[in-house]
Amino acid sequence: MPVWFWLVPIASIVALGSAYGFFRQMMKESEGTDTMAKIAAHVRAGAIAYLKQQYKVVGTVLVSLTLVFCVLAYVLHMQNPWVPFAFLTGGLFSGLAGFIGMRTATYASARTANAARHSLNRGLRVAFRSGAVMGLTVVGLGLLDIAIWFLVLTRFYGTDDAHQVVVITTTMLTFGMGAAVQSLFARVGGGIFTKAADVGADLVGKIEAGIPEDDPRNPATIADNVGDNVGDVAGMGADLYESYVGVILASAALGAAAYMASGAEIQIKAVIAPMVIGALGTLLSVIGVFFVSTKEGSTAKQLLASLGRGVNGAAVMIGVASLGVLAAMGMPNLWGLWLALITGLLTGITIGRAAEYFTSQGYSPTKRIATASKTGPATVIIGGIGEGMMSVAIPVLAVVSGIGLAYFFGSGYSFSTDTMSLGLYGIGMAAVGMLSTLGITLATDAYGPIADNAGGNAEMSGLPPEVRERTDALDSLGNTTAATGKGFAIGSAALTGIALLASYIEEVKIAISRVLEGGADYTFPNGSTLLASATDTLQSLSLMDMMTRYEVVLVNPKVIIGMFCGAMLAFVFSGITMKAVGRAAGLMVDEVRRQFREIPGIMSGESEPDYARCVSISTKAAQHEMMLPSILAIAAPVVIGLIFGVPGVLGLLAGAGATGFSLSMFMANAGGAWDNAKKYIEEGHHGGKGSEAHKAAVIGDTVGDPFKDTSGPGLNILVKLMSMEAIVIAGVAVAVHLV
Amino acid sequence: MTTYVYLSLIPEALIASMLPPDDFGLYYAIGSAKRSRGQAIFFSVDRNKLSGDDFPLANVDTRCVAHSDGRPKSSLYLSIYRVLERVPREALTALHLATDDGRVLTVEPKQFVPDGEDRAHLYQEFCPVTPRIVSHLNPAEFAEFITRAERDVHVPRIAFAELTLGNLKNDPDHHDIDNLPYPNIGHLRDCLRELSKAPHKASKTVLRQMTQEVLFRTIRNGVFVGDPTGISAFPLPSRDALEREYRAWWRSAQSTFGH
Repeated sequence: MPVWFWLVPIASIVALGSAYGFFRQMMKESEGTDTMAKIAAHVRAGAIAYLKQQYKVVGTVLVSLTLVFCVLAYVLHMQNPWVPFAFLTGGLFSGLAGFIGMRTATYASARTANAARHSLNRGLRVAFRSGAVMGLTVVGLGLLDIAIWFLVLTRFYGTDDAHQVVVITTTMLTFGMGAAVQSLFARVGGGIFTKAADVGADLVGKIEAGIPEDDPRNPATIADNVGDNVGDVAGMGADLYESYVGVILASAALGAAAYMASGAEIQIKAVIAPMVIGALGTLLSVIGVFFVSTKEGSTAKQLLASLGRGVNGAAVMIGVASLGVLAAMGMPNLWGLWLALITGLLTGITIGRAAEYFTSQGYSPTKRIATASKTGPATVIIGGIGEGMMSVAIPVLAVVSGIGLAYFFGSGYSFSTDTMSLGLYGIGMAAVGMLSTLGITLATDAYGPIADNAGGNAEMSGLPPEVRERTDALDSLGNTTAATGKGFAIGSAALTGIALLASYIEEVKIAISRVLEGGADYTFPNGSTLLASATDTLQSLSLMDMMTRYEVVLVNPKVIIGMFCGAMLAFVFSGITMKAVGRAAGLMVDEVRRQFREIPGIMSGESEPDYARCVSISTKAAQHEMMLPSILAIAAPVVIGLIFGVPGVLGLLAGAGATGFSLSMFMANAGGAWDNAKKYIEEGHHGGKGSEAHKAAVIGDTVGDPFKDTSGPGLNILVKLMSMEAIVIAGVAVAVHLV
Repeated sequence: MTTYVYLSLIPEALIASMLPPDDFGLYYAIGSAKRSRGQAIFFSVDRNKLSGDDFPLANVDTRCVAHSDGRPKSSLYLSIYRVLERVPREALTALHLATDDGRVLTVEPKQFVPDGEDRAHLYQEFCPVTPRIVSHLNPAEFAEFITRAERDVHVPRIAFAELTLGNLKNDPDHHDIDNLPYPNIGHLRDCLRELSKAPHKASKTVLRQMTQEVLFRTIRNGVFVGDPTGISAFPLPSRDALEREYRAWWRSAQSTFGH
């Protein structure tokens, strides 16, 4: 085992140790007054109650799928015997990452509000370092899972046989599916929960009853705050855990395939290089966390700069250090791989900046939507949809440029298909570069809901104006960083999708080799046959050879059908999740109205609303509504695979990837722009709060809520889950297909 | 138990109640079972300054009594027609502004001091009629003008608020007009332009009547009650005081949709 590999477990321990240290530091802070602690306890209890329900559902699904994989692996021999266990640990670690992040966030909100009573810097430190607990836990657990599985599998398979290294890496990739299943439920369920509560709280509490935001008289206000945690923290944590391990493992698998012919030493270096870069980025993220501080009375720009010091500092350091590490590892095509990695970093930054441009009230797209509000809700909706659609251009161009450049650099400065596997490895390295500093970028993401909840706590607790001004400043900053974080998540999903397509072909080859090892011949759709004894011939087939033999060309109806189905799925998935939010919000609206009607004294403050019931309604609705989209995502690759085989699955992944990425970007940016157009008006423009323009903007924001927080982020996971699943069940598509 | 007497402006009514102003405002805004909602503007009235000939005050204390279960009587309507003109200004001891979720701000009367030399003012009349008017006249002059008996069109007493015009008060062509929260803003600008071109014209109607709730945050200087004998001013606290000392009311006032 190359010595550099040990950086992976070391970084994992450092990240988890630092996360624990930051957690302990945060817990030493006071929760403030009794009221503050009581409100935080309400939110915490609601969040835990929700997660318990979610884990019951996900647990059932994970165990059921594990049993299916056991049958495929041990009874039908269509799958690697490690797959069921790898799948299960991926699901467990992903859930654990979300749980720890959410638990930390629910402890941190009151403490952040209380810290803000002393100073802005103290509030920022508590909120950011609590966010860092989440960021470092996600990467720490991810690296730990990777390190353990790599050590276990290399012990069983060894690293001398190039083919076995490919088997190891593609087997490891399957634990990404467990993580993807977990993250799909977390994102979709959390998204439905949070938006049902949010919309319910807004429509009845604010619009009907005229109660201000975060007013304790609103029965749905606690559910709203719980939703911030279960959707924006737990959901996002599970999502990015899956992205992170998916990126590293897909790149490792591509490295194993690309350098098969280069000898065991080079091949294993190519496998561990993405892990080492991830580890290095994690260590630098820990350092970056300490760069974040600000002075009292800082402006929004200064606050953003202080966060930028941490994030950009870590990015610059990884840019420099990765060259040294790749050189020290003795990687072939050193400069090419390094440039691919830098390409990924720059692509992530470009997508983040584009997201900020299209969603921040400081720029013209959001201002245009705000202006459109003067002519009513219809023009707000039209404006938001239009700007959202336009916003897809820059990220897509950034991603395709990133793909092209990373391929060019990775393949040794060529676009030739002869070096396709090397080029794809370059794309994998670009994705690793993009997510290498996830430890700190996720900290800035998770910081947002903590600051938001701190503001809610300060408001409900009636803290003095200067404290609320500080928590407002922290919250406002969180909105900007969230847009950037989402850009990274979506961008990495696109690059990972490309890498996973190539990994799928590798897994198909392994599945065919299993058929050959069973003594049977294998006939490709183009009519060519591999005899049972021709395993060496199979290994020598390039990606392009495989594409030719499977007739993966655009005029093949199987491919086209798969592509159209993939594109359709992205829309149907979005439709189902949007409608789910609508139904769940309807239940919440009814409940809030009922409480106002049946519990006397809520409005006068003499009686406390039944917060728990609203939390329970959102929980049940999310639990119920998350099933259909999840089943759809899990079933689609199986059904297409069983009917159209490998070409159909490749078409499905390509169609879902291209459409899902664009649609996800559109929904996230349109939703963000609507939200900030409303905030822009609330700052006093176009009549300010309460004006007709504001009323129209509130409608836009309500429409945008499920766009940006349920369907948009869910689409990323849909694409990644389908890719992962296709890899896991490649053996089935190879062995059984109708046409 | 004390019996309070309130003069409501929207709708115009004289009401006796056992509820103190904050509770009455909450009740009046949201009803007894949160099935209704709507802001309220009302005054506390010194009943000793009312005439027994104008209102049935003699038996108020015997009619305005607690319910059999001990709940205080929330409202006993004493009059609902041409009320303001029969309540002397001196009887109005405090103004209460209730938001539509029942938060109440109480404002004491103060000596009216004209604020600068603005070229234009925007007035929202509350009672007995509810148009929105632009005028050259300051609040005292406007009250005197609108209640002057010699004019063909006049009212005996008027309750109104001055609303902010921002930079438009001195320059109707100022570009910041978009940030004012009023409906049909182009028409408001036209009215101001017309007014500026016609110095002899005292006022111009912008809206014939209130159709929505008034945004309390747009009230500038305060609420006024005037008649030919003078004006009573109820100035709102400063923006800073509203932010710091009356935070709950202020947040609630900003959550109201209106114009």
